[in-house]
Amino acid sequence: MSSKWSALLSATFHEPGYDHLIELVHQRDPDARRRLAALDVSIYDEGGKLLHGWPVETGQEIVDLDARLRDAAVRERVMVVLDARYDETVFPYRPHHYGYLHRRGSSSPPLYYAVGSALGGVPDRLGAATRLNNFDTYLFRRGPFAERCSVMLGNLARFAAAEAQVFAYYGTDRVGHAVQLGPRAHVEVPLAREHAGQALARVETKSLFRLASYVVRRREPAGDLALFDHLFTYFK
Amino acid sequence: MSETVPEPLDAIILCYCTMLTVGEFRVACADRCWPLPGKENSGKLCTGCLGDLLYCQERFKADG
Repeated sequence: MSSKWSALLSATFHEPGYDHLIELVHQRDPDARRRLAALDVSIYDEGGKLLHGWPVETGQEIVDLDARLRDAAVRERVMVVLDARYDETVFPYRPHHYGYLHRRGSSSPPLYYAVGSALGGVPDRLGAATRLNNFDTYLFRRGPFAERCSVMLGNLARFAAAEAQVFAYYGTDRVGHAVQLGPRAHVEVPLAREHAGQALARVETKSLFRLASYVVRRREPAGDLALFDHLFTYFK
Repeated sequence: MSETVPEPLDAIILCYCTMLTVGEFRVACADRCWPLPGKENSGKLCTGCLGDLLYCQERFKADG
């Protein structure tokens, strides 16, 4: 892939049994020239091992992850990395991707989400981070169904391990989990629904550098995804 | 944790915000001319590459 372009690396997670479509949204000028120069997709297992990868034709609108990974006989939760190159003259309209998720055969409604970026996406003119700790948070609202919550974290670094802390808040109590991830490794951190009689109200992740992170809620007892969303950065 | 760390090849983009490559960083470290003009904010914008940047800095120091 050429490095004369701008670059953006986004990531999501995929589990077998889900229809999972990624819509590639990117800028077109009035002559309908597409600004996405190249896009590579790569798939990593929990330990960070590369399982599968392929270049995407830039004219393609939709990537059918489940079909592709079924063909590749992937049978576990994987991290999906989308590595895009695009024309820097349209940087504010950098390529971004949206996901559609639905468990096959489930009566649960499908989920739509924005695929989170992990490397790139902050132009130099916006200035450097004043602090190097990344804090992300998510507030939980109690749903009408019994559910269990978790956070999925992935390390997009190629060479360096990452440490992260996940804090779950229950009223005034806080329960922490320490996570260590090798390069391209990922993990799902379960969050107890209750602690000392208090319901889970908020989760927070803290890491030295930006990770791929999603908050997840699954309906009990079937385990269907009821929420798959990225956390919100409130302090960097 | 993953056991195998790939070699930092020169063509790899190290910082996706400043488009700093491993090769540029390697040469800058060897020539003691880091930070390169226009690349001063490498690792400090989205911060996603900071771990790799520090890893490479240590590697190139050791290699040198």
